[in-house]
Amino acid sequence: MTQTENLLQRLPTEMGGLDAGPIQRVEHEYAPWEKRCHALANVLDIHKIISTEEKRRGVESLGSEIDGALTYYERWIVAFANILFQKQLLTPGELAQKMDQVEARWSRDLQKERTERVRA
Amino acid sequence: MNPHGHDHARSPDAGDAMPSYYEIMETSVRELLVEKQLISAGEIRRMLEVMDSRTPALGSKLVARAWVDPEFRARLLANGRAACEELGISFFEDTQLIVLENTDKIHNLLVCTLCSCYPREILGLPPDWYKLKPYRVRAVKEPRAVLAEFGTVIPDDVEVRVNDSTAMVRYLVLPQRPPHTENFSEEQLASLVTRDAMIGVARATVP
Repeated sequence: MTQTENLLQRLPTEMGGLDAGPIQRVEHEYAPWEKRCHALANVLDIHKIISTEEKRRGVESLGSEIDGALTYYERWIVAFANILFQKQLLTPGELAQKMDQVEARWSRDLQKERTERVRA
Repeated sequence: MNPHGHDHARSPDAGDAMPSYYEIMETSVRELLVEKQLISAGEIRRMLEVMDSRTPALGSKLVARAWVDPEFRARLLANGRAACEELGISFFEDTQLIVLENTDKIHNLLVCTLCSCYPREILGLPPDWYKLKPYRVRAVKEPRAVLAEFGTVIPDDVEVRVNDSTAMVRYLVLPQRPPHTENFSEEQLASLVTRDAMIGVARATVP
């Protein structure tokens, strides 16, 4: 079998049975935003907006470079955004604008908290 | 690296630091979907409450009940989802639950080679190692070596069965009841059932 034929045998996430190093017995406490991301996934699944299979394919289609660089829920939220664009439920422009607003809002809140702390 | 140069996913207690790019994206996607009335903020809040109520303690209760009540055990093995619902454990995904019984001759192990499918309704969110490549790729190829890394040595005459989860079919291991626990209450028994025992990488704790 040639090397390219070999590549066709497996999708990027079809990794069962490959070789790998020792089990990394790591665990972390889920951050609030990670839990919210998971809750969002469950709610989107219930509404049949994004199914579990679509989510997995969405993560797969990010490609191996992004897959290696992002954390688990970072991959999820980027995949959700892409799927919602494809389904024309959101546009990239809308999301960019909203992200600017959210960032500005949080930045303002943070500034306010800091000022209040200095006064107190 | 994202433009803010830090990562909340890795340090959840960043305190007064700005949220990461991805956290901003999560909030933005969610708020846009709420504005478009595709989902509601209340649904997310209720889902978070439901998720917080799902911890391995639910699974421990389920296993202890199966150990003391043979009829419940039979129902649990026949239809995992229906038996869970008897104990008030509701399912929020459209999934089937298959409960696999460990015996003197069979040891079951769970994995999701494709991604991270896990019996979340019963155990909550999975540990990181379950989602990482080494566990996913090796569990199906050399389960005995993987189990040994968890300190679980399975005798050669015991068959190891590896169960690969999918979006539609989730599994849960019913571990063997440890010896010398005949006089234990159901609650005491539940305290011996760890999350790892229900994934199959460990046995129930021997008191």
